[in-house]
Amino acid sequence: MRYLVRRIGFLLVALWAALTVNFLIPRLMPGNPAEAIIAQFKGHINPSALKAIEVELGIGGHQNLFASYLQYFGNTFRGHFGNSTESITTSVSHLIAQALPWTLGLVGVTTIFGFILGTGLGAIAAWKRGRFFDNVLPTVFVVISAFPYFWVGLISIWFFSLTLNWFPTLGGSNATAGFTGWALVGDILVHSVLPAFTILITSIGGWILTMRNNMITVVAEDYVKMARAKGLRPRRILMQYAGRNALLPNLTGFAMSLGFVISGAILVEYVFNYPGVGFLLLQAVSSNDYPLMQALFLLITVAVLLAIFVSDIATALLDPRTRGN
Amino acid sequence: MKKFKVGLATSALVLVASTITVAGPATVGLSVANAAPSQAPLNLANEQGALWSCAFNPFVPSSLPYSFGLTYESLDFVNALQSGKVTPWLASAYAWSNANKKLTFTIRSGVKWSDGVAFSAADVVYTFNLLKKNPALDLNAVWSVLSSVSSSGNKVVLNFKLAAVPYFFYVAGQVPIVPQHLWSKIAKPETSTIPNPVGTGGYIMSKCTGQNIKWTANPHFWKTGQAQIKVVNMPSFLSNNTCNEYLASGQSAWGSQFIPSIQSSYVAKKAGNAYWFAPVANVALFPNTTVPGLSDAKVRQAISYAINRSTISRIGEYGYEPAASQTGIVSPTFKSWVSSSSSAGLSSSANTTKAASILAADGYKKVNGVYTKGSTKLSFTLTTNGGYSDWIAAMQVLGQELTKFGIKVTLVTPAANTFYANLYAGKYQLAYNAEAGGPTPFYEMRQWLFSKNSAAIGTAASSNWERYSSPSTDALLNQYGTTTSASLQKSIVAKLEGVMVSQAPVIPVLEEVDWFQYNATHISGFPSSTNPYAQPGLYNQPDWGYVLDQLKPKA
Amino acid sequence: MRLLHQSRHFLAEAWKFLRRDKKALVGSIILLILLVISAFPSWFTPDDPTAYAYTPGIGLSWAHPLGTTSFGQDVFSQLMAGTRQSVMIAMVVGFFCTILSVVIGISAAYLGGIVDDVLSLFTDVVLVIPTFPLVIVIAAYLKSASFWTVAFVLVITGWSYGARQLRVQALSLRNRDYLLAARARGESSLYVIFVELLPPMTSLIVANFLGAALYAIIAASGLQFVGLANVNTEAWGTMLYWAQNNEAFSAGLPLWALAPGIMIAIFGSALALLNYAFDEVSNPALRPVRSSERKLHKSRRSEVAA
Repeated sequence: MRYLVRRIGFLLVALWAALTVNFLIPRLMPGNPAEAIIAQFKGHINPSALKAIEVELGIGGHQNLFASYLQYFGNTFRGHFGNSTESITTSVSHLIAQALPWTLGLVGVTTIFGFILGTGLGAIAAWKRGRFFDNVLPTVFVVISAFPYFWVGLISIWFFSLTLNWFPTLGGSNATAGFTGWALVGDILVHSVLPAFTILITSIGGWILTMRNNMITVVAEDYVKMARAKGLRPRRILMQYAGRNALLPNLTGFAMSLGFVISGAILVEYVFNYPGVGFLLLQAVSSNDYPLMQALFLLITVAVLLAIFVSDIATALLDPRTRGN
Repeated sequence: MKKFKVGLATSALVLVASTITVAGPATVGLSVANAAPSQAPLNLANEQGALWSCAFNPFVPSSLPYSFGLTYESLDFVNALQSGKVTPWLASAYAWSNANKKLTFTIRSGVKWSDGVAFSAADVVYTFNLLKKNPALDLNAVWSVLSSVSSSGNKVVLNFKLAAVPYFFYVAGQVPIVPQHLWSKIAKPETSTIPNPVGTGGYIMSKCTGQNIKWTANPHFWKTGQAQIKVVNMPSFLSNNTCNEYLASGQSAWGSQFIPSIQSSYVAKKAGNAYWFAPVANVALFPNTTVPGLSDAKVRQAISYAINRSTISRIGEYGYEPAASQTGIVSPTFKSWVSSSSSAGLSSSANTTKAASILAADGYKKVNGVYTKGSTKLSFTLTTNGGYSDWIAAMQVLGQELTKFGIKVTLVTPAANTFYANLYAGKYQLAYNAEAGGPTPFYEMRQWLFSKNSAAIGTAASSNWERYSSPSTDALLNQYGTTTSASLQKSIVAKLEGVMVSQAPVIPVLEEVDWFQYNATHISGFPSSTNPYAQPGLYNQPDWGYVLDQLKPKA
Repeated sequence: MRLLHQSRHFLAEAWKFLRRDKKALVGSIILLILLVISAFPSWFTPDDPTAYAYTPGIGLSWAHPLGTTSFGQDVFSQLMAGTRQSVMIAMVVGFFCTILSVVIGISAAYLGGIVDDVLSLFTDVVLVIPTFPLVIVIAAYLKSASFWTVAFVLVITGWSYGARQLRVQALSLRNRDYLLAARARGESSLYVIFVELLPPMTSLIVANFLGAALYAIIAASGLQFVGLANVNTEAWGTMLYWAQNNEAFSAGLPLWALAPGIMIAIFGSALALLNYAFDEVSNPALRPVRSSERKLHKSRRSEVAA
């Protein structure tokens, strides 16, 4: 119990820190975002709109920093993120709701798949320690995961889409074809193959390596040696003894990576023009849409903190050492 | 990459949301009776880098492009490619009187809103008064010159505070007329999204998602024989290259894209793919005339002579945007306005000998490769919008040319908003940007040179960012507004060209073009260089809606 | 004297290590070549990388080994000229991240108590705030970020992982006998930290440097690629920005976009291979198993079974 209380305390501190960073960045940086937004409208702006922006960004001069800090917290907890400054009749929440399913679908599914595949391969590599499979596989993936992943996306588009014409050009789906039902699902799947491949190939190396290294440590433990000594079938040792215990520390990493789903593939979404949250963030950045930028950053941070919280609970349940304390 | 302008939009910004549905019963069970058996929809290639927000309020800059021209119409159509040629639209006739201070429109009869309700002069008066009541909606600030709007029968009378001939373009051509019977019920028109717009135009929005907007032909459309394309789709594209692929592969027959290497990556990809880039305005260097060195007209002139506009066009813009002229006249679009005396001796390539002799006569000498006079060293920062990679490329070339000549240039390319904030406030030395322009060269000249458009350094100027001020130029600009005589207007513009060449308050570099690709295999009626009846870029309102009405499927 | 002896010893060890570990050897050679190019780029650039001097958009040729860009610039020259900034940013960020990680991680472990609690909490908070979105947001507010701005942003977001790792290792070393002995002798804290505590942690510190450098080159290239860094300077990510904006692939100039990516990949791989090798040094269990060892292992197993 004490462990969980400690972790919740930590998460609250982290949440407060993230909110504060989010609040301070526009205020500490050189230049004046409100002035820039006003400039976008060539000086023709009605006074009430100007005031709204100033309150939004806390730079009115009529209000001290602390008061606007409190106001910002109030707005955030009530879920008031304001409207996009780029498309002024549209609320930030609406834009995010539109983009979120795409990212969750593409990156979420790919992350789960990558974890399963990578962990499996890592376990096999460790089991075949020193053989060809183990010598080649980790090195290959160490090299591949050092590739700039957005560039891997670029070449896969060039090769599979432009040269071989195997996959449709970019985007989330074919909007003008008017697909419904299963045809629509199929269309979305076909569009997701290349971005998913890009994410998979550049992220799987991490899972392979951590699982392999965990396994190697576990295999050296006495109980595994004992099991071998007893002459248990290798497959059984792999699955039931070593694999299980090596997987446990990886589960925490997996939970955290689920939290990073929302922010994990920003440049992949950019390269593939995938209409998800990452693309929305870059779009907000390029059009200086400060309310949208702030709301997205907050969403991304909260997702990570939630995932950590879930993994903490899981650890508390699975690992008896955390209970005693 | 792509540069687009939203009308001549200047707008208020409101952050409070309110969604009010304007019912559009006409969209139900639409055009089943008159649908052609199998007509392929027309898909448009118009990349805006965002998903659609499905808002169709014609008075909000971000949603205006998707309703004005095709759903909402204006009183007249003013064609910027034919020196402001006027075609009647919702008004069948117009007349100036009272020393060009009174404008009377005859409102067309027999026009219906897409919900079946009859359109009348009352709707026109309502629309103008709506703009008066909500200045946030008055994007072109027409009420800065209007004094009253009233109607009697089918006549609508606009009274102006002053002789206002150039404002015809804004009041007749840029104000979308909206239905009183629906809009009068909207509490906050400036923040309403208008998800189901009801207008008099040829097309009604029938379905919108973030990925696509679908329009269908208006069955109540008053212009018989027009709006023949039954279904029009505009998918959203998040980046230029996706959209260019879509266009090149033939999935779209009408696009307004910047396509690098257009011959190999578009024209050669499919039979019938063609393009036409009509010049409409200038992209120019704005020298800050309050900065030492740049305050000297001779230095500005030297800069104009020292740059090779042909090279800048070829390298920075693939030659799509042709070299501009120091006279400020965009040709061939406005070639009948070119003054032969002002344009004599100007060339699109560099004349560094002339530039050097101008500086030498002005007392400048090269010190360590940089022209210097006393404590004034010709070394400047040049800034442009960091979001436009073609502009950056063009300015890299220009910067290298000037530096080599002896005017040292350091290029700074901040994000768009920083760039604009500094430009408007006059906190820059040299800036590269475009003005909105208009249906005759006068509009751009006035934006550039009229001293009342400027402001003190530190205060945002709506245009005239270089802070040029000359009473004689102001007098010329004011004189233009009082006359409807084409020959007098041309002689005034000729004098302004003289100011441009001798003073170089603004240094035009390239001509901004209307990006337009089309494939006429299955559709006829696109504008062309021989029939430039409207601006064909999909970001020109109301032009693209006007073009859409004229298109016809080929049998 | 002792330090000198130690460093000589270290170099000898390093050489032995390189000869034994092929991954480390390959990584070191690549790194060395890139460092030479970035120190003397003009030796490798036959042409002015920024001049728009040539026929735009031509393919491979002797004059232009990688062709030219749509603007008529020599791709090979740009690639060589871009090496300096790309390698520099990785090295600078790696260096400052490592300094921060060492200072914070080791202070936390060595001083313990409330200092440890506060520093650990700080480290963990920085660790969970998503880095790349934060980098993007900060870069957006800073506008057209210069080299040092990008480096600064990457350092303040990139040190936390290393600090955490170093703290854990320092904690495990803190109560070793020789450290306790040094303290008992009355040696100063600085002496204990620099002479006794840090040397055994060298391989982990180097691994952290390499990890941070790898993060920096990928993140900096990403920022340059989307146009959030200064696009008027030469760097590999900036080349990708220009190639992408001019649709190098559809324009038939794939080398323009392929070459800078390959350079980043090669550089990144070199860092990753070295990092992997140093990880093996700091965690002996992971060292490659030699066939003789495996035989030994097998024979032992049979002994047990017998």
